[in-house]
Amino acid sequence: MSESLVHSALSDKLKEMLSEVNNFHLNSSITCLEILKAVIAKKRENDVVILSKGHSAPAFYVILSEIGLLSEDELKSFANLDGLPSHVIRGLPFIEISSGSLGQGLSVANGIALASKLEGEEKNIYVILGDGELDEGQIWEAAMTSSHYKLDNVIAIVDRNFNQLTGKTEEIMSKEPLGEKWKSFGWEVFEVENKAEKILELLFELDKVKGKPKVIIAKWE
Amino acid sequence: MGKIIESFREAFGRALVEIGKENENVVVLDADVKGSTKTIYFEKAFPNRFFQIGISEQDLISTAAGFAIAGKIPVASAFAAFMMRAWEQIRNTVARDNLNVKIVTTHSGFSDFMDGSSHQCLEDIALMRVLPNMKVLVPADAYATKVLLKQIVESEGPFYMRLGRDYTIKVYDEEELKIGKAEILREGEDVFLIACGFMVPVALEVAEKLNDLSVGVADFHTIKPLDGDILLKIAKKANLIVTLEEHSIFGGLGGAVAEVLSEKMPRMIIRIGTREFGKSSRDYLALLDFYGLSAEKVAKRIVEAVKGL
Repeated sequence: MSESLVHSALSDKLKEMLSEVNNFHLNSSITCLEILKAVIAKKRENDVVILSKGHSAPAFYVILSEIGLLSEDELKSFANLDGLPSHVIRGLPFIEISSGSLGQGLSVANGIALASKLEGEEKNIYVILGDGELDEGQIWEAAMTSSHYKLDNVIAIVDRNFNQLTGKTEEIMSKEPLGEKWKSFGWEVFEVENKAEKILELLFELDKVKGKPKVIIAKWE
Repeated sequence: MGKIIESFREAFGRALVEIGKENENVVVLDADVKGSTKTIYFEKAFPNRFFQIGISEQDLISTAAGFAIAGKIPVASAFAAFMMRAWEQIRNTVARDNLNVKIVTTHSGFSDFMDGSSHQCLEDIALMRVLPNMKVLVPADAYATKVLLKQIVESEGPFYMRLGRDYTIKVYDEEELKIGKAEILREGEDVFLIACGFMVPVALEVAEKLNDLSVGVADFHTIKPLDGDILLKIAKKANLIVTLEEHSIFGGLGGAVAEVLSEKMPRMIIRIGTREFGKSSRDYLALLDFYGLSAEKVAKRIVEAVKGL
């Protein structure tokens, strides 16, 4: 992991938050911080963000607290019975769909995107996927649906941290050549270093790409 | 046997078009079975509001969830057996978030007689009934299918509607049917048959056969929420309650009836349904008979049960 990011203010806050809960999904939350920061910064009012890798909820809460939507006390309530849920649920700020079960967010994004096109609305749907999550077959069913319907309002961001629950992604179930996979499914593929400013810059560029769904593979170097 | 009328799927397909005319928010999603489920009629009438998702029921359900989040009323349709592979998507996304998704399946029970055990879905009522927020309906004939379909589309929240494939036998004329309200079709005191779906006309035929006994018949088209009031009224007057369904006796209509009565008014109940997987047959009625679900076999079981009371 990149030292600068692991020791950033955001990740320090995250570590503090998770220190009392046995570092609950700490690593997959750390690698999601910069992605969420960029997406929330880019999000227009009617855009939708789907945290398909719902176990990165702690990172999402840290980002919400950075922009004043959650208090420090609320952060401390993480996973308490009356506190913030361990995986995101519908009703939290920006959260349209509960997650926690992997592989479903891209399909949900397609549904919102199709409805939005039907209404002629300008709306981006950002979906944050884990690289381990890509093992789920439904992701690839949905990837076909996005490109079949030319959903250029769907933007997937893969948190490519090369780790999944019990080991390295390439040892558990190899993902590479990952960009080629998405490309062959009809997606426009972009690879970028997992840094908020770089991802944000790319997100603005992507608004100009029309006619295809777009995926950013955000690499944790 | 009563009068054979329009099939479940024809009724579904045609009703969907009528509903689509009245409500522009309705969209239909298909898993490449539109010709079999008859959602093809909706596609022809409203091509812009019909979405082909391909042979991928899991993607189908989650995409429908997205439509619901965006304010549409998605009707997600496929064969019952294969829709069940999306059970976890239905649980974690549709039911958990209480989304306005209408799941309508055809080819349930033994109605897909030719295709055999892989296609004959005998577990879906149980699988759907267990989910919080989910309501479960099994209409008895073409008329009930049309009326109840319209009601589930107009009601907020997730619904599962289970339909057969081929012909239906006429049960209703113009009766007012309501979600959650069971219909007593025939009064009786010795035995009361509680049925759903295609087993409703079968139950009526059973009652005709047992003319030495006073046999009542009720259509419990809504399995969840179950009509507890009517059920208790039935239990008060009947000596023997028989549930009848084209589904496993575990967790379906029989299970639901037994759950309520065992707590509120214990009664002798015979649950008639299946305990195993199906098999292929050239004929639907022959298949029902093989599994003890023909009027003859049901009547025989009841006669034996009454002797033993």
